[in-house]
Amino acid sequence: MEEFVDRAIEYASKMGSYVETSYLSSERNTILMKNGSVSATGYSKDSGLAFRVVNSSISFASSNISDWGVIRGEIDYAVRRSKIPGRNTLSEEKSYRDSWEVAERRRIKDVPLEEKLSILKDIESLLVKEGIQMRILAINDNIEEGLIESSGGMSIRHRLPKVSFFAMLGFMEGGNFEQGTIELGYSGGYEAIDFWDLNNRVQQEAKALKKAAAAKKIPPGTYDLVAGPEISGIVAHESAGHPSEADRILGREMAQAGESFIKKEDRGMRVGSDIVNLVDDPTIEHSFGFYKYDRDGVPARKRYLYKKGLVNEFLHNRESAGRMGEKSNGASRSSEWDKEPLVRMSTTYIEPGEYTLEEMMEDVKNGIYMRSFTEWNIDDIRFNEKYVGREAYLIRNGEVFEQIKRPVIETTTVKFYSSIDAVGKDLQFSAGTCGKGDPMQGVDVWMGGPHIRLRDVYVR
Amino acid sequence: MMDLNKIYEKVSRVSDQAAVKKVTSRTTQVRFSNNAIDITNTWNEELVTVFLAQGKKTFSFDLRDERALEDTLNRAVSALKGIEENNDFVSLNDRKNSYRTKGNRDEKLRLLNPQEFVNSFIDQVKPFFKRVGGVFYSRSISEEIATPFNSGSQGQFGIEFVARAFNDKDYPVQTSFMSSSDEDFPLLERQGEEIIDLSRNVRNIREGEEGKFNVIFTPLCFASIVSYTIPMASAFQVDSGMSMFAGRLGDRIGSSIFTMYDDPLEDSMINAKLFDDEGTPAQRTPVIEKGVVKNYLHNFSTAAKFKTETTGNAGIIAPTPWQISVEPGNESIEDMVSSTKKGVMIVNTWYTRFQDYREGVFSTIPRDGIFYIENGEIKETWRSIRISDSLLNIFRNTEGITKETKKVKWWDETLPTKSPYVQVADVNISRSR
Repeated sequence: MEEFVDRAIEYASKMGSYVETSYLSSERNTILMKNGSVSATGYSKDSGLAFRVVNSSISFASSNISDWGVIRGEIDYAVRRSKIPGRNTLSEEKSYRDSWEVAERRRIKDVPLEEKLSILKDIESLLVKEGIQMRILAINDNIEEGLIESSGGMSIRHRLPKVSFFAMLGFMEGGNFEQGTIELGYSGGYEAIDFWDLNNRVQQEAKALKKAAAAKKIPPGTYDLVAGPEISGIVAHESAGHPSEADRILGREMAQAGESFIKKEDRGMRVGSDIVNLVDDPTIEHSFGFYKYDRDGVPARKRYLYKKGLVNEFLHNRESAGRMGEKSNGASRSSEWDKEPLVRMSTTYIEPGEYTLEEMMEDVKNGIYMRSFTEWNIDDIRFNEKYVGREAYLIRNGEVFEQIKRPVIETTTVKFYSSIDAVGKDLQFSAGTCGKGDPMQGVDVWMGGPHIRLRDVYVR
Repeated sequence: MMDLNKIYEKVSRVSDQAAVKKVTSRTTQVRFSNNAIDITNTWNEELVTVFLAQGKKTFSFDLRDERALEDTLNRAVSALKGIEENNDFVSLNDRKNSYRTKGNRDEKLRLLNPQEFVNSFIDQVKPFFKRVGGVFYSRSISEEIATPFNSGSQGQFGIEFVARAFNDKDYPVQTSFMSSSDEDFPLLERQGEEIIDLSRNVRNIREGEEGKFNVIFTPLCFASIVSYTIPMASAFQVDSGMSMFAGRLGDRIGSSIFTMYDDPLEDSMINAKLFDDEGTPAQRTPVIEKGVVKNYLHNFSTAAKFKTETTGNAGIIAPTPWQISVEPGNESIEDMVSSTKKGVMIVNTWYTRFQDYREGVFSTIPRDGIFYIENGEIKETWRSIRISDSLLNIFRNTEGITKETKKVKWWDETLPTKSPYVQVADVNISRSR
């Protein structure tokens, strides 16, 4: 349907103060294994056209029907809807004409189905050998290609290949059950498998799961906490990334994912200790949420959400920036061709500091080392949150001792970040699908950080 | 426009069995926040999904453009050579089936203008709140399927409406409506009054307390609980082992007053079905009946594996629930509140996550109205609490169910559900420290 982009923009450009037409296609392959059996092998090429028209309000329309009459009808309908009063401000931005792509060292199109299957079968054998009884494994690849043009002269073409792996594992012994998930994502080709060190990563998870099933709960109380990169990542995503999304701050998600404890006027407010820096950066090479230009055609850049423990910068698309009278910082994304662009994260992380893990540990008398999490959630202003440890250990006098069962932290964003007294120099990322919007849009993200140390955390 | 029969004909030439489904949908959505419309979205889409099998080897693909069929079929044929047999696949449903006709009328709902409705709703509730936001969906879907054994078509029109309003102390309440029937039109018109009435309960706002409480779940809140429960009854999920229903068929897991159905025959709800993705007639399936796990949800192949009959829930790869009905009881909500000595009524919840699928151990975050009740009266309104418990405890401790039900659907947190108010004893409430 890409052939209709120019025609649609030419037809519509005089019918709105701003008009934008986009073509997006996603070509996906999926293999799913359940307990050793190949349950599903699938392919899809999902593509279509979307139009955004701004007049008295904003109207967004989409269609995948390859018929100019239908497309013209959708544009006309969107134009009519856009004349009904509502909000209609987009920030003024420079219009770029460019194209970009992410390189693949091992091209997705060159990897046969049999090879992808053998990747999963190797993992399956490894897990069977480890005695993991419940195994759901999936490998996916996706080549996204798009072209966006606007009445203001913007024209951006892109090609973005991605590979991802998902595992859900369950282990049962003596009536004790533990579950775990592994999510990995990479922008690029099948060199991802080596990049992830996939087999070792899965093996480590399997061993930890088995130990966790036999582990014992600890008595509730106040402990020092050393949290691994997976914990840093989820905390960064949930309690720095989401509350910094300007559309939430403005209330645009008020009936769905909610708002933010951060208000418009809160830049400079203290939310953590002064060694805490939180970043969202779409430009990290091969990151799962990578892009060079956002969905509004604004160049991507690194953003400091919290700097030295203070609220610093919000994530903006043109709509939220326009409403706040600011410039966009390139955080506009949509998950598929037929979804409106929203303010989204990309790679959100706690910026590394000075400490080694050993230095952090040696100063802990009575603590917990939490490497990964299972259940978690956070309230709709991103303030009250819960993280349940999946792989976690006791620390006594600087030494890591036995594995413990599902320690629970229920805390607040400010309390968590204010309790951090040491930030590690390491940095690791894990992948996720961030959900937001109505209809729900799941976008690929990385989240991460270094090991961090928190003092006096209540754990049950 | 894609032609189902032509696609089926080409697909069936290269497969032993094929199921082709075409979904055509037209949706208008109005999103609003802080008393103004943010955006109007429209979708005009066609999607064809194809499942094909050669012996026990299976492959599926989606098609957005019929011109891509030849290429995609070549890809499928080549993939089938390279993949292993799918041990979970037995066959598509090979019986010749006939289908019922739907009984709902929806002419009035179809005539609603979404933007006008939203603007008039905002005008109605604005004097009572600092700000209101929400979403209105009007969606028309038609579906056709073809398999070697069956063919059919079905359609459904539906409205979804959700509003969340914040009072002058910035405390939110929420209402939700979903229907495919003109009979419910008056209830849609009442959504403004409903959210205003709900806000009248908001008083003495404070941080909530930890402990075990008698909880009254409103229909919206209980819909969320059962929406996280029923997918675990899918035979795919049970077979994987990651389900609280695994190994519990026939076991009592809940109170004898609790019954929950997958209910595609309720035509006044937006996901009513005549048949599933392999042409099996849709049916009302009790998943938990009087507290006992009665059925898993099956397609033809999972039913063969579990040595039972299909329940008409294909998903050919994984059976899926359609929409939920919780059996009403005999109580009234007024009596339920007035007989509560110490308890909490919870209007809505979100962010439900599990640490243990086998035992259903989860937590979820109540919102949009947490009303603390003492001696039969709402005394306070709480925030910042969490339910940290297990589904097994919730169903086991269910003590009261109202006659009154409501059809709800909210965002991705609830499936289309018809639920009463449900009272549960000893629910564990936790909070941040």
